[in-house]
Amino acid sequence: MNSFIKVIFIEWKLNNRNFLNVFFALFFPVMMLMLFGTMYGNEPIAQFGGFGSIDVSIPGYICIIIAVTGLMTLPLTLSQYRERKILKRFMVTPIKPIDLLSSQLIVNTVTTIIGMIILLIVAKIIFEITFIGNFLKTTIAFIIVLLSMFSIGLFIAGISKTMKAATVISYIIYFPMLFLSGATIPLEFMPRSIINLSKIFPLTYGVELLKGVWLGGNLLDYMNDILILSSIIIIFISLSIKFFKWE
Amino acid sequence: MNVIEVNNLSKKYKDILAVDDITFSVEKGSIFGMIGPNGAGKTTTIECTIGIKKRDQGMISVLGFDPLEKSIDLYKKIGVQLQETSYQDKIKVHEICSLFMSMYSEPLDYVPLLERFNLSNKNKSFLSNLSGGQRQKIAIILALIANPEIIFLDELTSGLDPKARREMWTYIKELKNEGRTIFMTTHYMEEAEFLCDTICIIDEGKLIATGDLQSVINKADIDTIITFNTKEDIVTAIKNNITGISKLEITENKISIYSKNADLISELILFLEKNGISYNNVNIIRPTLEDAYLKMTGKSWKE
Ligand SMILES: Nc1ncnc2c1ncn2[C@@H]1O[C@H](COP(=O)(O)OP(=O)(O)OP(=O)(O)O)[C@@H](O)[C@H]1O
Ligand SMILES: [Mg+2]
Repeated sequence: MNSFIKVIFIEWKLNNRNFLNVFFALFFPVMMLMLFGTMYGNEPIAQFGGFGSIDVSIPGYICIIIAVTGLMTLPLTLSQYRERKILKRFMVTPIKPIDLLSSQLIVNTVTTIIGMIILLIVAKIIFEITFIGNFLKTTIAFIIVLLSMFSIGLFIAGISKTMKAATVISYIIYFPMLFLSGATIPLEFMPRSIINLSKIFPLTYGVELLKGVWLGGNLLDYMNDILILSSIIIIFISLSIKFFKWE
Repeated sequence: MNVIEVNNLSKKYKDILAVDDITFSVEKGSIFGMIGPNGAGKTTTIECTIGIKKRDQGMISVLGFDPLEKSIDLYKKIGVQLQETSYQDKIKVHEICSLFMSMYSEPLDYVPLLERFNLSNKNKSFLSNLSGGQRQKIAIILALIANPEIIFLDELTSGLDPKARREMWTYIKELKNEGRTIFMTTHYMEEAEFLCDTICIIDEGKLIATGDLQSVINKADIDTIITFNTKEDIVTAIKNNITGISKLEITENKISIYSKNADLISELILFLEKNGISYNNVNIIRPTLEDAYLKMTGKSWKE
């Protein structure tokens, strides 16, 4: 078998053997859906432009999955691979450590997509969500959000000396974003000060973009978000290339 | 023919000169062993030789390749066990082995390798559940999957019990008999004595001695000690008749003769026999690699 495919295949298996990875990407979002769904139901609400609570929340939940795989699993795994000299061991083989890194990007992308599919299936069956967006535009928005989170994750992995350091940085970035970017609790319900604060979190723009397009908006209407997220991608990928330490 | 040539290698970490102008070569099919105290620069030398550390100065050629340039071509032909590596969490023996097999175009199959190292029953085990010795065997198996011409072993036997260590020695000898070249480091002197065709001692980044076992020991210039028991008072006679003695000690009826000349024993026996002196319990203590090592690397250990 081609070695890169083999690496992806094995990394995929290892990822699935890690309880936390699976729990946070596949089950946690569904639990959140069930919790908020039971609390608010999915009746059309005027404040949400005639959509139900769940309809407008789904894009936020998808962003949470992206944030988990991109900001937690990816940097923690990679920094562990460096700390334990696994990347170094790969340096002295005909394949390169970058193959291991790429395989992690692929594995986490696939995990994100599966988490999203599970979430959508449950939401469809239990809360009968409706999707009126355009599939292609939504996919583009999804990819932009994914790339932005993964590039930040790569940067965290690249600069943190130990897995402990990566864990601390990831938690500091991830948890505030979870609650203050509009991903779990719509910003509409937040006081002015939190809305202002939310502007410093990259995920806020991701939620705004994905939610907008998900609910039938045009990509062009969210040019501001797209520009900010694209800059994040370019900046963090460049920083990662420059500063990534393999050992 | 030399498969490894290292000329004037130097490597600095910030303010530490870890390797200081080292030159050596490794002959094809031989076992080359590097010994030296902790922090002497062994790992750094190995890592520069295989190109995972950038050298500051010097020339390195491994199988004709500069490890910093043609590294991929080189990595197809060498197998490496690094001093420190662990593996991915929750990976199983057969998974890591088949992963390594997929990297090479003509790998050795891992199944017979597991058998050879008595690990067949661990095929489906998690690597994290293996004992230290079993994990070292996996490290050497992974190095062998490449079907390598040269194998680099950085402290392969550290932490193994004496039996497991001797088992490893047999494997290493076998690898040599298969025509492979071995570059190893160790802290066990008896291991270097038993295995290595060439021994190289380094200390504080500098090469202290290199050559076969005997020449390295000779270089340390340590006395051989001959002891025997006799009731007769022959000290002056010995002093007058035998040359090359550096020190003579008498305790009760035991005489100890220190000399750089290891062949002194035959002269001595001849002398004793010729003069009809009765003696018994002759003992000869030749300097070992350990003595030479301690003398050449020790700061406090001086004669
Ligand atoms: N990455 C590094 N950064 C800074 N200093 C280092 C680094 N690696 C090694 N050193 C230093 O370089 C010197 C040589 O280290 P090296 O690991 O080569 O020694 P060694 O002979 O392999 O020792 P040991 O027998 O303990 O494995 C030591 O003083 C060590 O502290
Ligand atoms: Mg070392």
